[in-house]
Amino acid sequence: MPEEFTPPASPTASFYDLSEDDEDYSTITHTSTGRGVKLLYTKSKVYVHPTPSAKDNIPGFIALIQQKPPTGETPSTASSQVVSPSNLLLAWLPESALGSAYDTYVKVDLLDTSTPPKQTYLVPPPPISTGNSPLGSYSFSVPVSQIYSLLVRPPSLGWWWGSIVVNSRGGDSFPALFFHDSECASTIAQSKARTKNNFDPFGESGELFWGGDEVLRWLKRYVKVERSEVERTVYLVDPTKDDLLSFGQKPVVDSTAGRDKEVATASGSGGNDIAAAVMDPFTKAIKSARWTLLEKFAKVTQFSRQTASNLLDNPNLPPQVRKLLKNPDVISLQDDFDSARLYLARWAMGIAEQSEKERAKIVWKREDIMEMEDSAVGEFEILDIEAGNIRGDGDRRRVVDMNEWNSWWNKTSGRLEITVDEVKERIFHGGCDSAVRKEAWLFLLEVYPWDSTKDERAALMNSRRDEYVRLKGKWWDDLSRREGEGEAGEYWRDQKNRIEKDVHRTDRNIPIFAGEDTPHPDPDSQYSTIGTNVHLEQMKDMLLTYNEYNTTLGYVQGMSDLLAPIYAVFQDDAVAFWAFVGFMERMERNFLRDQSGMRAQLVTLDQLVMLMDPVLWKHLEKAESTNFFFFFRMILVWYKREFEWNDVLRLWESMWTNYLSGQFHLFVTLAVLERHRAVIMDHLQHFDEVLKYINELSGTIELNSTLIRAEALFYKFQRTVEASDRRNGFPSPGTATPMVRLTHRRTGSLAPSASGNSASAAKGKAADKDGPEITEPLRALLSRDIVRVEKKEPAEGEAGKGKTPVRE
Amino acid sequence: MSSRKKVLLKVIILGDSGVGKTSLMNQYVNKKFSASYKATIGADFLTKEVLVDDRLVTMQIWDTAGQERFQSLGVAFYRGADCCVLVYDVNNQKSFETLDSWRDEFLIQASPRDADSFPFVVIGNKIDVDDGKRQVPQKRAMAFCQSKGNLPYFETSAKEAINVEQAFEGISAVIARHALAQEEAEEYTGDFGASTIVDIGADSERDGCAC
Repeated sequence: MPEEFTPPASPTASFYDLSEDDEDYSTITHTSTGRGVKLLYTKSKVYVHPTPSAKDNIPGFIALIQQKPPTGETPSTASSQVVSPSNLLLAWLPESALGSAYDTYVKVDLLDTSTPPKQTYLVPPPPISTGNSPLGSYSFSVPVSQIYSLLVRPPSLGWWWGSIVVNSRGGDSFPALFFHDSECASTIAQSKARTKNNFDPFGESGELFWGGDEVLRWLKRYVKVERSEVERTVYLVDPTKDDLLSFGQKPVVDSTAGRDKEVATASGSGGNDIAAAVMDPFTKAIKSARWTLLEKFAKVTQFSRQTASNLLDNPNLPPQVRKLLKNPDVISLQDDFDSARLYLARWAMGIAEQSEKERAKIVWKREDIMEMEDSAVGEFEILDIEAGNIRGDGDRRRVVDMNEWNSWWNKTSGRLEITVDEVKERIFHGGCDSAVRKEAWLFLLEVYPWDSTKDERAALMNSRRDEYVRLKGKWWDDLSRREGEGEAGEYWRDQKNRIEKDVHRTDRNIPIFAGEDTPHPDPDSQYSTIGTNVHLEQMKDMLLTYNEYNTTLGYVQGMSDLLAPIYAVFQDDAVAFWAFVGFMERMERNFLRDQSGMRAQLVTLDQLVMLMDPVLWKHLEKAESTNFFFFFRMILVWYKREFEWNDVLRLWESMWTNYLSGQFHLFVTLAVLERHRAVIMDHLQHFDEVLKYINELSGTIELNSTLIRAEALFYKFQRTVEASDRRNGFPSPGTATPMVRLTHRRTGSLAPSASGNSASAAKGKAADKDGPEITEPLRALLSRDIVRVEKKEPAEGEAGKGKTPVRE
Repeated sequence: MSSRKKVLLKVIILGDSGVGKTSLMNQYVNKKFSASYKATIGADFLTKEVLVDDRLVTMQIWDTAGQERFQSLGVAFYRGADCCVLVYDVNNQKSFETLDSWRDEFLIQASPRDADSFPFVVIGNKIDVDDGKRQVPQKRAMAFCQSKGNLPYFETSAKEAINVEQAFEGISAVIARHALAQEEAEEYTGDFGASTIVDIGADSERDGCAC
């Protein structure tokens, strides 16, 4: 209460208004402007991140400010609590710009915000901006009535700072504001108070409390703030009915509606028109992509429609970009929205890069630039947001249950009545429930053809059962192998021992494999004293039969891991055997004697990481880890040792669909790697450290987010390849330059002296010159075909002839 | 000179599948035994601080997959090894017979400079199993070790924690003895370059100048 408040004896005391009367404050003379405005709420340590380097982060205050209504308007009173949104300003001001008002901001930051402000604090009015300020200055203050929406991203793992982007009704986006909650005195206090008072550290939305929640609370006191039903990151401010409608519907990437108009506009000759046309696809077509781009752009540069249309007049515009803008091919590029998006993202990066360079000429030291090159940059943050969009589509990720599965098949003929792709899409995104698995897996593993009828499948299964019995009989009835002398017998018994050893240590924590109550059939077995169970015995028989079925490969360690989930789902040896055979069709290359298949996949992974994340690749190279051996286990048995049992089933059926790629497992690997990028970059310097770290991820990896991330990575990869192809087809080589340069900017520009490895520097240079090379193994990742072993290895099964075959 | 000595001792465990490599490592480092270890895929390691000649050093013990074909991609972790431990199962004749080829395989893959004097240790594991099942008599194992240049030999049970500590102490001793021999040889020849495994300081190697 005013009476109780004693202002401290400081120069800022003159800004305090001890009266509740609104009319008073405008009469107080401010030193610089002649008047003051009411600082209602503020929060400290809200940063703008103008560049990827943390060094450039600018600390400031986000504030809700009440200004004096223009004369003629009915004066509002504090008691009525009615303040016109046009008299409220949402502002961000850098600490450095506050001058003597800084102390007031600090004070207001620490006030209790659970009730409306009782005390009036006056500060100098910030300059009002409804559009964006010119490049170089980030501060803004916008009347709340002019705010169209807020894009709100709470902090999450991998994205440490929560952020808010303010979009004005004029179509501008202000720089993303990052809430460094760990530094913000008020957020720390509020967070503590919540824990203490309610035992509830979670905010209104059920998520962890963070600084941005407070900003929403401030605004909600004065205006209606509606969270979009569809775009959960979007909060509409005083939305119209239309706004609500458009954000309540499913986001559709509208690639057609805006296009005709754009092209029409683009055909105009004015430079500004072209620039506007270039911008149109992403301001119009997007709803879902909007957030992605705006936040990203806001982060790297002050980028808005307005600045874009002014760009051609901007003397700082890099000549390459200017040229690009005027190139008709650029316009045709937009026909594909996705490519335009990619292109625009690169373009924005180019602008950021250019302005960074401009500044570097003046103030940046070489070390600063080096650090920036090395820092973990936003490439993957785009991805993060993309992943968020994928995640948002909850319906697609619903588990396929028996009702849904049955609805796809003709009741009488048992023929599939939707397309195979539709089935695969559902399973890829949603997975199957356990009843569906017994049927769906047989299709996914190519035991049943998709176009078969019920009767055909029954007949097929009958013959498969007979065949299994026949194969099993081959070794079961062959006494010469069981007991006979000679190499064949010796090899077979070795294999049998190997299988027995492995089966007895495979998934024994799973109930059906746990029991040891059955006496071992073979008294000479090393397990004869321990006992076994029927499922373990079935496992052994199936693996021995596979050893018979695929004589060139035989049983190899790891196969028991692949069979166990399949057997557990079917619990029928013949059915499980053929499903396993189907799985082995794609896994066979993992087990080749010369390990060529594993090597090929590790090499592909190496190329994939180099293409997708050159900075990380560079780091791994320095850590002598680009052999990617630490992913050996994940690739060999498809994450069997990394995930819990149920997750393994879910992951495998996803990958079996080949919905996006026949080698989707490599994108899963990339997703795991990328998830731990920051730790790897910051803390792991040597091969043994990386290996240990990756090995110990076992049991800690969250499947759903990994799948989502892998999917986003696949799309990103696909766009990268497409962009590369398009670039190679560009008519004018000159225009292609900036895009090429951007792609591998970091790899290319790292000083060779830093790595001390001339080979890698040369690699980087090559990439710099030609753009990323899309090697054949990489291109193959776009294919939905699985990689089969074409030629069987010669004579592998013949025991005793190789170098050390006895041990195999 | 001594300050440049390696502080990280790298020990590689090799041997047939199922002889107990993982169990030995875990028994030594964690003093634990589990009957439900899964077959090792790829490679992993554990570390333990040990005293060697009154110096505290870190022993990094690498456990590998036992199926031979999986060794071919493992060159990365063979490199810079200070000792190789060959393990067999005393109840499994075959696992004993393959020791020689495991040794050869290691020498090929790791290609240590001093192949002739490189420290190997042989361990016969699973001595807790009934005597009646034992397939490799101690005498025979010792004869083998003698013939390969007096390789130190230990018989252990990772399950019952018999002799495991002693075996790894033996490994430390072998490394120390080898290091000393290397040092003397260098002093004798006056070669102070970072040319032997022992004298490549761990730090300098890690900084990437020893490639």
